[in-house]
Parts: sequence; C-alpha cells; structure tokens
Amino acid sequence: MSTTTTSRIDYLPRSRRRRLVAVALAGYPVAVAALVALKHGDLNRWLVLAVFLLLLLPTLAALAVGYRYARGRIGGRRVRLDERDLSLRQQAYALSHQVLVVILIAATAITEIFLTSGNTLRLDAVNFWPVAMWVIVYLPALPALMLAWIEADRPADG
Amino acid sequence: MADSQRRVHNRLAVLRAERGLSRKQLADKLGINYQTIGYIERGDYNPSLELALTIAELFRLPIEAIFSLKPMTPLSEEIFREPPTELR
Repeated sequence: MSTTTTSRIDYLPRSRRRRLVAVALAGYPVAVAALVALKHGDLNRWLVLAVFLLLLLPTLAALAVGYRYARGRIGGRRVRLDERDLSLRQQAYALSHQVLVVILIAATAITEIFLTSGNTLRLDAVNFWPVAMWVIVYLPALPALMLAWIEADRPADG
Repeated sequence: MADSQRRVHNRLAVLRAERGLSRKQLADKLGINYQTIGYIERGDYNPSLELALTIAELFRLPIEAIFSLKPMTPLSEEIFREPPTELR
C-alpha cells in the first residue's frame, strides 16, 4: 500500500471509519443470507456465487482498512505504544467484548426461538461453515474494528 | 477520551509555540507519539498524572500553570491581572 493511501487511511474521519466498520460487520451476514436465499431459487449457481462475492467484496475491503488503521496498535508487536495507545487498546478490547456478548446472546436467542417453534436445526459441515468463517474472520478483527470505531479524528500535523 | 471523563484544559499548544517546539520534537522529549500531543492539545485525551508531571517538569512550570479543570485564561491576562483591591 502506498504512503499516500496509508496516510489517507490514518486520517479517515471517525464518521467514515464508523461507516466502514458497519459495512465490515454487516457485510458478511448479509452476503451469507443472500447466498442462502438465492441458493434455493432458479438462478444459475455461478450467478449466485458472483452475487455472494460481490456482497463480500466491500466487507473484505472494510476489514482490510480496519486492520490497516489499527496497524500494530492492537497486537503491539511492531509499533511502540504510548499511554494513549495502550488506553485506546484497552477500550477497544472492552468494546469488542461487549459487541461479542451482544452478538452471542442475539444468536443464542434467535436459535432458541427457532428451535422452540417446532423447527429442527441440522448441524452439518454445510450449515456450520458460515459460523466457522464468522469466528475465524471476525474474532481477530473485532478489536481493530472497535479501535477504528472509537478513536477521535486525528489532529492535523503541526 | 470517554464521554463520561471530565475535560482537562491545558496550555500545551501555547507553551509549545512559545518555545518553538513542533509536536514531534516535544513528543520525542516526552517519549510519546507525536499525535498524542495533538490529542492532548485538543482536549481529546487527558494525560496520566505521570505524563502531566513530566510535561510540567520539561517546561519548568507548576502543573496548574499547564493543566486545569477550568477553561484557561490567556497567560498575559494572568500575568498582568490587577491584584484584588483589598491587597493594594
């Protein structure tokens, strides 16, 4: 990534960062929902896959921007962190935990309602992969996304 | 800075300008990232007591001359303020 692009990401205003985080969080569930809905229709399977990938693309781009924005401040291995960075990292982790709690409670509640309504849930590899992918993609990304969500706009250089 | 946190006002930008220091130079002396200086100046981040004391030490000023819980008046106004009438 060029320096210009990098600094442009660093100086993204919070409102735009928050929109990107929203896209990153909502994009994958929307893409999976679209895939499930279209899979049972008459559409060509390649077209379904194209729609899925098209919906997934902004999510991946937003995730990449989120990671780039946090850049070492979550892992903290390459960058020397000062007290503000460390405080921000703690806040990002705390917010990630809260978001995760809300998502898990909502998912559990929806599953419980679905099951108590007389439905059955078949847990096989096909049904489980979206969940597995969500865990693999979002669990590591959440703190970086939350950091991008909470940090105030960067002050102009001076 | 968390919304619930009380804002700490400061004169960092004025003092830095007075001494002709850039954010980067000041940050290097303090051992922090230069952007943290910007966040402190803008009131978006309240420094730790340790950092505030280090800043005061660096500028050789009492900490209350740099940081305050109340909005700060211009330094010139404080220096040339007339003493209360009962003290004259």
